Amino acid sequence: MAADNTAIIQMHHVDKHYGELHVLQDINLDVQKGEVVVLIGPSGSGKSTLCRTINRLETIDSGEILFEGKPLPEEGKELAAYRAEIGMVFQSFNLFAHKSILDNVTLGPREVLGTPKAEAEMEAMELLARVGVAEQAHKVPAQLSGGQQQRVAIARSLAMHPKAMLFDEPTSALDPEMINEVLEVMVELAQEGMTMVVVTHEMSFARRVSNRVVFMADGQIMEEGTPDEFFDHPKTERAKDFLDSIRGH
Amino acid sequence: MSAHATSMRDALYEAPGPKTRRRTAIGTVVSLVLLAVGIFFAIRQFYITDQLNERYWSFLLEWTTWRFLLEGLWGTIQVAIVSGIISMLLGLLLMLGRIGHNKVLSVICRVLTDLFRSLPSLLLIYFFFLVIPKYGIRMPSFWMLTIPISLAASGVLAEVFRAGVNAVPKGQTEAAMSIGLTHGKIVRKIILPQALRIVIPSLVSQLVVVVKDTTVAYVVSFPDLMQNARVLISNYDALVSMYFVVAIIYILINYAINQLSIYLAHRSGNKIVTRASENPL
Amino acid sequence: MGVGDVIAEFGGVYVSSLLSTWLMTIICFLGGLALGVLVTVMRVSPIKPLRVVGDFYVQLFRNIPTISLLVIFVYALPYLGLLLDYRTCLIACIILVVSSFASENFMSGINAIGVGQIEAARSVGLSFVQIVRLIVIPQALRTTVLPMTNLLIATLLTTAIGSQVPLTPPELTGMVNYVNSRSVAGISAFVVSAICYAGTALVIGYLGNKLDKRVRIVR
Repeated sequence: MAADNTAIIQMHHVDKHYGELHVLQDINLDVQKGEVVVLIGPSGSGKSTLCRTINRLETIDSGEILFEGKPLPEEGKELAAYRAEIGMVFQSFNLFAHKSILDNVTLGPREVLGTPKAEAEMEAMELLARVGVAEQAHKVPAQLSGGQQQRVAIARSLAMHPKAMLFDEPTSALDPEMINEVLEVMVELAQEGMTMVVVTHEMSFARRVSNRVVFMADGQIMEEGTPDEFFDHPKTERAKDFLDSIRGH
Repeated sequence: MSAHATSMRDALYEAPGPKTRRRTAIGTVVSLVLLAVGIFFAIRQFYITDQLNERYWSFLLEWTTWRFLLEGLWGTIQVAIVSGIISMLLGLLLMLGRIGHNKVLSVICRVLTDLFRSLPSLLLIYFFFLVIPKYGIRMPSFWMLTIPISLAASGVLAEVFRAGVNAVPKGQTEAAMSIGLTHGKIVRKIILPQALRIVIPSLVSQLVVVVKDTTVAYVVSFPDLMQNARVLISNYDALVSMYFVVAIIYILINYAINQLSIYLAHRSGNKIVTRASENPL
Repeated sequence: MGVGDVIAEFGGVYVSSLLSTWLMTIICFLGGLALGVLVTVMRVSPIKPLRVVGDFYVQLFRNIPTISLLVIFVYALPYLGLLLDYRTCLIACIILVVSSFASENFMSGINAIGVGQIEAARSVGLSFVQIVRLIVIPQALRTTVLPMTNLLIATLLTTAIGSQVPLTPPELTGMVNYVNSRSVAGISAFVVSAICYAGTALVIGYLGNKLDKRVRIVR
């Protein structure tokens, strides 16, 4: 758990305010290569914000975030190039509404990496097949179910060959019967050794797949540990209350 | 979920880094300088053409000037309100006829709606001003203005009402049918009350179009704001100042109407439907 | 005088009137679009004064009655040292008004895109320019087809204020006056002009709807 130089993502003393609200308080977090870290906590705990600071969709007030030992670029080409190395999957999928499924996946490789069209499309089709939506390649996002859209969003990220992936509540907007099809893709990714930071309420996923669970409340990291430690022997009252509340239903 | 910047135009930009901040600051300064230069030259143009001379403006300090303008404004308001009411009733009838079960009536209403929407109000005004009198029908200037403006607006309003009816969820009709209401009752008791509430902001914003249409009142010699301004211009020989003042009054009125419509839309949570289709005459 | 007589006697003038109305409509619409793009760029720029000026511009020209603007151009500007011919005044006024509505349409097209897609585009590594070129502009254009169709029809109808200044040939509304002052045409002159307007609007509306169906973005 101690910071060492093999950590791919390092956050040191990160603070962030929204006006009066102190949404991130002295966050220290390291993610090792190949590690799957799950962020959980009640809504408003700052877990999504934390996830989004890692590819600078949110800026921070103080502290530092390092990726592969280098501080995040602040703007311009360097920032874009950095983001191309990090995949991001959103709660609301955010597929490009005017592009076909195939074009959604090839857009990044073609425009950012300069991959030739034929090659990009071939790889995109492989990825779409892998997440199980190859038949939908020529439809537009609105024609797909939420679960299918989210799997396309994952394929879109994978097409960039990311070094790490961020998942910001990827199943929260889905109907219950679609949650598993998305989680299965994520489990597969984890097993292949992808570095992942996952904000989720899916405790089964956290228990099965993650190497580490980080529990947040009120903008602070309250505790962290292996899934077994955390779920079976939570240390803080806040974590106990939280676990009770989600098991209670 | 994080508290985002709300508008899309802010969302287009990242939180700026140091280089971006510097560039934005330079842009801000340059644009401010250009703006100041522009304003300076505009005022200078007024000055060197002697249009800032107080004899062109002093009459605006007299109560009689404003009383006369207000009389004109009252004329404008009368035409606007009466046109607003007539066009609303007519628009509602056109829409009801169109969505009704009578095929013939439906086609007629549809054709009339499309026709009124595709004719300039000025052409309709000419019809009442130039054509109707040739058939021996005499009409006060108020109606020569109000009727054509109402007709032109009624076509757009029929479409606004129809958008409102379409915005009422389908489930409402189904629920009403399931308790055995007839078509007429469903429209009257279930659909219309909801549709009307939905379109209130749009109706208000359409009032802007009506106000704009009234500005050609001088064609039929009806004493509205613009017509009375023309009289003042010939009395005081102060054309530039008068036309600018009148323009500002119109802009403020229409701005206020638009703001009211936005406020109503905001309060009721409804969008302003078909605002884009208003005729910007 | 029936419609047939009016066409027999004034047919030639009507044709040139219709063509000149169409030409004016196209010039004003394209000019309005171009200026509208410029104003929209100002309104979405990160530079505050440009935004304020852009917003102010739109409020100014979407709220001013075109007639009120026209009398300023025709009668007031000469006193300020700017003398333009009637047609130029007319076209300039309509372009100013149309551009403010065009900008409003563009803005709502941009607003319809949603923050999420911009963030997704950023996450993929697209630069600001790429996001604008590949995501914002295509979507904004495709969602504004229908409002812009309505604006084109509105532009056509707005050219009717050309009847308030002397034009050769007169535009379609001025034709009613033109014909009536030369013969006892009664309703016929009105009918011919009305058919020209309604026919043009019908065709524009039809084509706009067809285009919209092809490019509409389902959300």
